[in-house]
Amino acid sequence: MRIFGYLAKKVGDLTVKYSNFPESYIKRSFEQVYWKNPTGYPQYPKAVVARKRFRFTTNRPWTGQFRQQNDRDVHRKKVFLEPVGEWSFFRGDRVEIMVGKDKGKQGIVSQVIQERNWVIVEGLNTHLRTVGKDKSFPGVVIQSEAPLLVTTGVKLVDPETLKPTEIEWRYTEEGDKVRVSKASSRIIPIPKASEETIDYKSKEVYIENEQKDTKADVIAKVTFAPKLNTFEMDIMEEMGIKEDRVPAKSYWY
Amino acid sequence: MSKTSSLINFISKRTISLSAPLEGKRNFRKFPIPNKRGSRLHKKQQAGPNPELEVDRRGVRDTGYMLNGRFVKVPEMIPELIVPDLTNCELKPYVSYKAADVIQSEFTAQQLFDAVYSKKIVTDYKEGKLDQEGNPLEPSKEENLQPDEAVAAARRTGSDLL
Repeated sequence: MRIFGYLAKKVGDLTVKYSNFPESYIKRSFEQVYWKNPTGYPQYPKAVVARKRFRFTTNRPWTGQFRQQNDRDVHRKKVFLEPVGEWSFFRGDRVEIMVGKDKGKQGIVSQVIQERNWVIVEGLNTHLRTVGKDKSFPGVVIQSEAPLLVTTGVKLVDPETLKPTEIEWRYTEEGDKVRVSKASSRIIPIPKASEETIDYKSKEVYIENEQKDTKADVIAKVTFAPKLNTFEMDIMEEMGIKEDRVPAKSYWY
Repeated sequence: MSKTSSLINFISKRTISLSAPLEGKRNFRKFPIPNKRGSRLHKKQQAGPNPELEVDRRGVRDTGYMLNGRFVKVPEMIPELIVPDLTNCELKPYVSYKAADVIQSEFTAQQLFDAVYSKKIVTDYKEGKLDQEGNPLEPSKEENLQPDEAVAAARRTGSDLL
């Protein structure tokens, strides 16, 4: 079975976590189905004509830019990826850059793009980009970071020696899974910044919407009492609906 | 869709037919046209009381029945949505991210039995109100409930689950 081809089509789990969307929504938002056989009729096989290959970039799969880059008539060369076993780079990690003009510098991971084995390091590995250039306006030059491959481009920094190091996933005595630096056997903790999503930096500092969000104490209340009633019987009892007639017996053949 | 019927689609079908339906299939095979195909006689039979094929109502339920060529509307067959009064409801459309994740086990039949019957059984046992077979001498309302009565009570709601 060509498992890597199947896995490569999927959106990374860190992307799903960051988006705070259900995975099915993300899949639906970027899929391009051109033809689908009607469902529920025995004469139709389960045939789907849809786009198979997508070019994942720094644009996230649910955005309009992604849709634009993967437009129906746009076909780009296939990107070959080195399979990464267990993902070990998270937002907020201190990494050292191993390639390019900023080789040897250390920085903080600001974005993770698992679909391409990329991380973006804040303020490093940058180029200048002119935006908003017009006939009458020269544009504004901004500095933008280029992504780096996690396989060759960056390495995690050992917290003790502050040197780049290989890491290993191990279990503590308590059964927690941790990253351990191979150089000094120190645990490299997963940073708090990795909890960030589109909606909040971390769950504790999320600002609740008074009109739409149910508070924690209301949610924790248990209002269910077990009774010998079906859901409909419960509702009828509560609303005071009386009914004495019983539908005639029905049989299935 | 059953597995066998989807497999049949892969077998090439070579037939000689002079009838209109297969002729028409060439153009209309990519989308369903329910209840519209076939000869006049066939469609007449489909409209009658004994249709040859199942009539495709496209997921819509009947709200009555035909009697002597007239349609009789049955109010009980029309679904009625009962919406509870939500004026003092504290629940809102979403759950705050600050709320802790609740992981709950499935509510099983055993737990329902424990909640409804177990307390009464224990007290009856302690007070000696059980006969030799373990049946209660003074059964409660729930203990008196017979299976067919319970089904009837559930069906009285008009629900088609049972």
